[in-house]
Amino acid sequence: MKKILTLVVFFMLACIPIFSEADEDCMICHEDPDLKTEEGKLLFIEYAKFLSSVHGESGISCVDCHSDLQGFEDFPHAEKLETVSCGECHDKAAEEFKTSIHSEATIKKDSLTVSCKDCHGKHDIRNKDDFDSRVFPLNLPQTCELCHLGKVKRERGVEFIKQYEKSIHFEGLEKAGLTTSSNCSNCHGAHDIKAVHHPLSRVSRKNIIGTCGTCHVGIERNYLEGVHGKDYAKGSQDMPVCTDCHSEHDITSPQDLTSSVYTTKIAGVCSRCHDDETLSRQYGFLTSRLKTYSGSFHGTASKFGEARVANCASCHGFHGIRPSSDPKSSIHPDNLPETCGTCHPGAGKNFAKGKVHVISEKTSNKWAYLVKIIYIILISVIVSAFLIFIAADIFHRVILRRKKE
Amino acid sequence: MSSEEKSLNNNMSVLSKEKPIIRDDEIIMRMNLAERIQHFVLIITFLVLIVTGLPLIFSEIKFLKWIFSPQKSFYIRGILHRIAAVALILNMIWHTLYTVFTSRGRNNFKEMIPKFKDIKDAFKIFWHHAGFTRFLYRRGIFKKFFETHPYWLFKEPPKYGRYNFIEKFEYWAVGWGSVVMIISGFFMWKVELSLSIFPLWVHDIFIIVHGYEAILAFLAIIIWHMYNVHLNPESFPMSKIWLNGKITGKELRILHPLEYEKILENRMKADQSNQRE
Repeated sequence: MKKILTLVVFFMLACIPIFSEADEDCMICHEDPDLKTEEGKLLFIEYAKFLSSVHGESGISCVDCHSDLQGFEDFPHAEKLETVSCGECHDKAAEEFKTSIHSEATIKKDSLTVSCKDCHGKHDIRNKDDFDSRVFPLNLPQTCELCHLGKVKRERGVEFIKQYEKSIHFEGLEKAGLTTSSNCSNCHGAHDIKAVHHPLSRVSRKNIIGTCGTCHVGIERNYLEGVHGKDYAKGSQDMPVCTDCHSEHDITSPQDLTSSVYTTKIAGVCSRCHDDETLSRQYGFLTSRLKTYSGSFHGTASKFGEARVANCASCHGFHGIRPSSDPKSSIHPDNLPETCGTCHPGAGKNFAKGKVHVISEKTSNKWAYLVKIIYIILISVIVSAFLIFIAADIFHRVILRRKKE
Repeated sequence: MSSEEKSLNNNMSVLSKEKPIIRDDEIIMRMNLAERIQHFVLIITFLVLIVTGLPLIFSEIKFLKWIFSPQKSFYIRGILHRIAAVALILNMIWHTLYTVFTSRGRNNFKEMIPKFKDIKDAFKIFWHHAGFTRFLYRRGIFKKFFETHPYWLFKEPPKYGRYNFIEKFEYWAVGWGSVVMIISGFFMWKVELSLSIFPLWVHDIFIIVHGYEAILAFLAIIIWHMYNVHLNPESFPMSKIWLNGKITGKELRILHPLEYEKILENRMKADQSNQRE
């Protein structure tokens, strides 16, 4: 009995590097590393790699995919085989792929064609959860970049794609090794990937909130409760979505100096809409937010790069911003002491007695306006007097000098 | 010799013919060491305050942004501004104590008190320099009026005492300005305290006042003080009094004739009482 067992084990071990029965015919020729077509295309197949692939492991043989050679005997076969149809088995993925931008490229018979193998590989395809898979989360950016940093020309250029490598998402993949950090397909989708402008695209204005919300669940909920999110849910195209403030491929942490929502830069981001006359009329908000913020100490200090002063978000909040009329708003007069108190301990009700975004003192603070006017008059009168006296003095000296001569 | 000097010499000749009590090259202390240090501390603190403060008002200017571009520089700016402010306040306290408790300080203060004469002096010196009425007179316009009212020809410049109207104006402007800046600045420094006492709109006035007063002070110093004391052709590139405190008898006679006369008078009195003894 023992003998038989050792024999069996020996036989099994011996079998592994050898070809399974069905593939034996193929590998007679294709194991030759020098096998080439007349054009010089390598026809060698590393069988060991195939065996360790997801298909090899599950016992799928050559002709299961190269189905036009099923039952073929008269070797060598024709040089051109039919394209392998992955959809025979992977019907769901194939259906999805048909709707994708990659598939359209194929249909249009452009010079650029994308098929399963371009992303997944050919004989060495591995399961997507396999560390060595081309579409394993940590490897996917490299796979996409093979084309998107090279032969693919999109409107926004290669640089735009490259920006991803500066992002916190990429950092998560590369440095922290987090497979949950967003790679290309988390935002853009995989088989059903669409052009950005396509209404069904995951990164279109209509869908981006949900896409980012897949991971950032709490933020999505906050956003949808806020003034922006409420109008967004009604279908307004003007509402800022995640990418409007956080940028797209190069999303970085708000604490990062290069982030578009870094404390000293955020005012520039908000004012893109909040200083827009058309939008302000349409949605009934006040403009000159940046100008008035800049006029304050907070804004001035921020312009000089001081990060500790209040920016828009410090007072208004960020994802779930509410209008001051909302009792839950951080800038509702009743909540101002608490909001201001974050930085100014012991802030009382006096913080609410006055205007923060002062467009003109004339309307919002009469006494300040009066003081300002008095100072302007005072300064002009005094400085004019200085200049007149100095002019008279110089005039007198010139006259005296002339008389001497 | 200018016309002023001639006339002054004539005035003095009666007194100084027999005995030149104040020689032209005699050195008289116009600013003693304490006064010079006070002035020097004021220069330094004022400069620091201006450099670290004005950029906030003119934050649009790119050069200023460039100065504060290094990290933390804005924070350091704030610290320097406060240090300079405290130094300025201490200097002011010292000056006040000096003025109250030393006889020289008290005398300076007495001389510094604005009088109606200062307004007249300002008026006179302006028309004297402009020379407009003398021009009219030479052309024969209003000849009769000018002959009966020679005052309006402003032939002679006004005679100044220890401090002329320019210096008095500057002194009181610095004093008043400092008080305004210290009060408004204190409440800007202690925002929480300010807003526990005043509503936000009052605090906003502090900010406005602090800014405009700063601009006024800055312009007053670079235009008025710099020209009158240092940059005018007579003393260009600068008067050295702020460094060594010394003024010559001749300079005193020309620039501060009333003080010159006062010193002269005092010395003659002392002389006479000596002779009597």
